[in-house]
Amino acid sequence: MNISSKSSASSAQAEEADTSSLSKLRLVTKDPFFWSNWIVVVAFVLVVVVFGAIKPHNFLTMYNLNNILVASAIPAIIVVGQTFAVTTAGIDLSVSSIMTFGAVCYGIAFTNGWSWWSSGIVGTLAGAVCGVINGFIIAKRKISDFIVTLGMLSVASGFALVFSNGQPRQIVSNQLSTLAIGGFGKIPYLMVIAFVITVGAHFFLFNTRFGTHILATGGDPDAARSMGVNIDLVKIVVYSISGTLAGFAAMLTISRIGAAEPAANTSILLNSVAAVVLGGVSLFGGRGTIFGPFVATLLLQALTNGLTVVGVAAYYQYVSIGLVVILSAAMVRTK
Amino acid sequence: MKKNTRFLTLSISVVAAGALVLAGTTPSNAAVKKLTTIRIAAVVKGLDNPYFISVKAGIVDTAKKLGVTANVQAAPGLNDDIGQANKLDALAGQNYDCYIVIPISSNNLSQGLGKVTKAGKPIINIDSPVDPASLKAAGGKITSFAGTDNTAAGKAGGASMIKLIGTGKKIGLIAGLAGNVTSNARIDGFKAGAAGATFVGPVNADWDTTKALDAANQMLVANPDLAGFFAANDQMAQGIAKAVAAAGKKIPVYGVDGIMDNLNLIKAGSVTASVSQYPYVMGKMGVEACVVLAQGGKVPAWTVTPHAVIDSSNVDSALKTGNQLPPAGYNDPYAALIKK
Repeated sequence: MNISSKSSASSAQAEEADTSSLSKLRLVTKDPFFWSNWIVVVAFVLVVVVFGAIKPHNFLTMYNLNNILVASAIPAIIVVGQTFAVTTAGIDLSVSSIMTFGAVCYGIAFTNGWSWWSSGIVGTLAGAVCGVINGFIIAKRKISDFIVTLGMLSVASGFALVFSNGQPRQIVSNQLSTLAIGGFGKIPYLMVIAFVITVGAHFFLFNTRFGTHILATGGDPDAARSMGVNIDLVKIVVYSISGTLAGFAAMLTISRIGAAEPAANTSILLNSVAAVVLGGVSLFGGRGTIFGPFVATLLLQALTNGLTVVGVAAYYQYVSIGLVVILSAAMVRTK
Repeated sequence: MKKNTRFLTLSISVVAAGALVLAGTTPSNAAVKKLTTIRIAAVVKGLDNPYFISVKAGIVDTAKKLGVTANVQAAPGLNDDIGQANKLDALAGQNYDCYIVIPISSNNLSQGLGKVTKAGKPIINIDSPVDPASLKAAGGKITSFAGTDNTAAGKAGGASMIKLIGTGKKIGLIAGLAGNVTSNARIDGFKAGAAGATFVGPVNADWDTTKALDAANQMLVANPDLAGFFAANDQMAQGIAKAVAAAGKKIPVYGVDGIMDNLNLIKAGSVTASVSQYPYVMGKMGVEACVVLAQGGKVPAWTVTPHAVIDSSNVDSALKTGNQLPPAGYNDPYAALIKK
């Protein structure tokens, strides 16, 4: 490109002698897509290094890294579903409410004598039902994803209040609290679950025929349709995935909180959208990555954790997190 | 009986503290941790509510006055239970001498508190109590609780309103989040204090000004004979006051908390009264209890923080002092135990 024109005569000679590996690297770093994929990893490493340097004995301890992994697990699962929705050029605004609804259904099953895992199936199915309804209406009635999932946001949190009568239900289960506290060695169970789901989603999106259909639908729906892709089915499947994962995440939330509460946790929704954009998924669809948003979730949680450990006052934390989101999004912006 | 033994240990420790001061020799004082080396961590509810800003002010001011260090962290939002748990987790592993907590729900901090207790650090719970069952399951232990008796506060409001409007009238009730323990206690207390009145509601307005405005409007339409309103917090009382004014009525509106905004409205006359809680005192007592414990002292397991009905008769003095401390003084069992 314009590398040679910029460099002076002497350095041009040096470059020629340099087996062109340096210029290759330069070419790569000038490619905007390289940055959209890797900026989040760079930012994550930067956050860890900076906080590690400021508070080496508090931030970079096994104990604290474990905290960051635990805190990231539930958002990471929600983010996978959001990534699928955004990859088809959609968005799922109902994730946090579906999670609340799933938690309430879990609570009802559990307090009626169901075991911790069978209640988990109930919660997951409740989320799946919401997701299928989302996808079905979006696909068949051709209504914007934004409107349908915004409606579902209200409907799901409303039903959560109706079913629970507004009352939190306490969930005391040794297995559940082990799930939240324990781990394989130093890696918490919650993070292992989130990582397995992430790897599975990556495989599904990039190594299966249906995954290709999802990407094609997001890239150019008309072209995809004429190639024989069942767009309606794609839409239904992605929102079902998102709803199911939200319902499943409800169980993990209960394991951490020890209660099924009807109050919606809206920061989960905002975090999921921020992580998807930070991770390098195009909001216009067609270009997705599963690991990008995963790392972005780690980044957001590490940032909150680091600011807390350093003792930055709460108000400034909002500012700094917002700035990181906007700055990184500005850097990953590609035409 | 229990109270007596507690008083006994308390007075013994006071005497012991006095003896230490009297002895005044360096070796016996060396055992007491220096105030400037004491580090306190606090995790409070969301700082998007003036009530918890006041708690924070109580913590920060008192820490400054005593010369101790305090790191005050808050939940990212009033309902962000997991976000708050993450903050406590982040602080639990560090070498703070003592932790002050206000949980968003009665369960959400229990696992983090278990970690704190396992690290051998004392916990002071202020304002909203942690659920004992879930705390026990997580292996956590609260050393001392300081908070208001919300039922008593509601009761004081009810009695005051009955004095104003007389018995046999209809009163509208606006509650906070459905199922919230604090809201229920305030509403139930109010009903007990206003015995003899009939009640409309309670309707849940989620602690929100706008939602309370809408709820009050609907109540006024359905019940034109309402003689008063009680809201479980001040922000909702502000919404009700707007609805009452818009309907062209002049009926008393009571809130709970005593936030500055509402005191200004009481002075202006649009809100009638607020049963003031003293979040500033809670924050102050939290720090004092922490300091006593860090110095190796003992604290009472339960302290009721004060409340007072603020209306047009005493609003001026409350406004002048920023309503940080109750006009009639209060009992602080912790302050005297601190070794300077």
